[in-house]
Amino acid sequence: MKKNLFPLVMAAIILLFYGCSSKQPYTPITERMKQPEVAQQPSEGTGAKEGTNEEELARAERERQRLAAEAAASAAPHLPDVYFDFDSYIIRNQDMPALKDIADWLSKNQSVKVVIEGNCDERGTTEYNLALGQKRAEAAKDFLVRSGVAANRIRTNSYGKEVPVDTGHTEEAWAKNRRDHFVSQQ
Amino acid sequence: MSKFSAFALSFAVTVLLALFAASADAKVYLDVYGQSYKKITIAVPPFATEGQPRPEVSDLLGHDLDMSGFFVVAPRSLMDNGLASEGIDKRSIKFDQWRSLGVELLCKAVIQEKDNGFSLEAYLYDASDGTLLFAKRYRATPTEWRRIVHRLADEIILTVTGEKGIMGSRVLFVSGDRRYRDVYVADLDGYGPRKLTNQHQIIVSPSVSPDGKYLAYTSYKEGRPNLYVVDLATGREAYTDRQEGTKVGSSWMNAKTIAYAHVLGRISTIYAANVDTKERKVLLRKEGILASPTFSPDGSKMIFVSDMHGGPNIFMMDLATGDTKRLSFFGNYNTSPAFSPKGDLIAFVSKTEGALEICVMKPDGSDARVLSDGGVNDSPVFSPCGRYILYSSQKGKKYSIYMMLHNGENKRELKFTGAEETQPKFMP
Repeated sequence: MKKNLFPLVMAAIILLFYGCSSKQPYTPITERMKQPEVAQQPSEGTGAKEGTNEEELARAERERQRLAAEAAASAAPHLPDVYFDFDSYIIRNQDMPALKDIADWLSKNQSVKVVIEGNCDERGTTEYNLALGQKRAEAAKDFLVRSGVAANRIRTNSYGKEVPVDTGHTEEAWAKNRRDHFVSQQ
Repeated sequence: MSKFSAFALSFAVTVLLALFAASADAKVYLDVYGQSYKKITIAVPPFATEGQPRPEVSDLLGHDLDMSGFFVVAPRSLMDNGLASEGIDKRSIKFDQWRSLGVELLCKAVIQEKDNGFSLEAYLYDASDGTLLFAKRYRATPTEWRRIVHRLADEIILTVTGEKGIMGSRVLFVSGDRRYRDVYVADLDGYGPRKLTNQHQIIVSPSVSPDGKYLAYTSYKEGRPNLYVVDLATGREAYTDRQEGTKVGSSWMNAKTIAYAHVLGRISTIYAANVDTKERKVLLRKEGILASPTFSPDGSKMIFVSDMHGGPNIFMMDLATGDTKRLSFFGNYNTSPAFSPKGDLIAFVSKTEGALEICVMKPDGSDARVLSDGGVNDSPVFSPCGRYILYSSQKGKKYSIYMMLHNGENKRELKFTGAEETQPKFMP
């Protein structure tokens, strides 16, 4: 029973993601934070519906295959964050390969645009950190452009120290917050 | 009377001596102000209206006087019933008993409430010889009684220091929970916080034009840090910068012209924009980061933050000649500058070991001193009289707004909304 429901669940997930990405090209983090995270976990009810017959399952499977093929062409991989040293906006050596992968993926998926969000840790002043976050985003953009990605496919945004991913006050938390985050949009 | 003029004079002399001593020793590296002066002990016994005590009125006066930094307010618990309830005219006051408590000044007042009016008749005595320093009567509507108390406090401060107090001031700040914020205005004593924006967004760097007409701020309401200037009376957007990139750090050059920094690509620009004509002029354009422009009181110089020499530091540019020089040469993280209204000091934030401290230096960059005492401090700004600095400080988890004297003494937390509060400014 469980196995049979898998395609349905997959279709639901893909539909949800597909629906999201086509409706909302880029949602700023302030809005993303406000939305309840409904898309991530399809409810049990979706798949456990009574009276599902063979025909419906077959149709769902065909739909799944069609969507999966479409998604494979353009689905965003998880674009990794790129991290920075304190009060620095230079791309570190160890992050070059990750950025190169992002550049390659963008080259293969010409319809995708990306927003780079620069962030800082809390150990700085508000206004300067907003400028620093912008420079961090610009540094990654610069790298991607030099790797052949068209500049008009990349936008930059800075959140300074205003939206830390880790609200702790430790070296570890600060290191996580000094980052560029990549948001792809179809 | 003469004693207090003498005090005012000696206060001024002390400050002058402090400045002189400091300039003779200009090589001090982030020294902490050691200079100090003795506070005056003042008693504010409970005010009454026709025999009914109104302790909240005298409490507010005590709060204002404590906040001013010039007074020790004698605790109510030290006054026995006889003292607390004695009359207000000179003959019924037992000055010897007040003196025995260590009280130097005594403020007595009686409240009258009738015909929808609130009046306060206040007397300030020198407890050493019973001299009446002033007698004043204030009137207002009953709901405005706090304003009267602030005026009385400012008058007492004027009598003692030779300069009027600022206890009737209002403060602009950003408040909210992390990402959901708005710009507020409230009385300096924390009373009556009122929203000036209704956005529930990340908002930073609010500032009001010198004539009080416009509010400028950076908001993410359209998804990225755009600069907005709104007419406070109508809510109309008078000027907006929606260019790609970060626009932040607004500062008013005059009633119509706002300066701010724009960071995009490899270039940063400091603009001066006229909110009437929408004309935007480049004041400075450079590679790297430019941030936080602000101006000398005479308008001839701009100070700003730049990383052109590595690490953020504070620079000064002569607006007529374009000559630019670096002011901060201590540590490698100096940001958030603010000129004093007399042009004799620049407050700023400097990163020291484990803390971001509020500091002051002379406009030539000499004589830098740490005023705060640890934690993450930000956004210092002088009061219009120059005697106080407002700033935000994070001790533990929450940011709050504090006020201190320009020498770092008398730090007091200002409590407005209970939520996180940052980026304070005095309302013009």
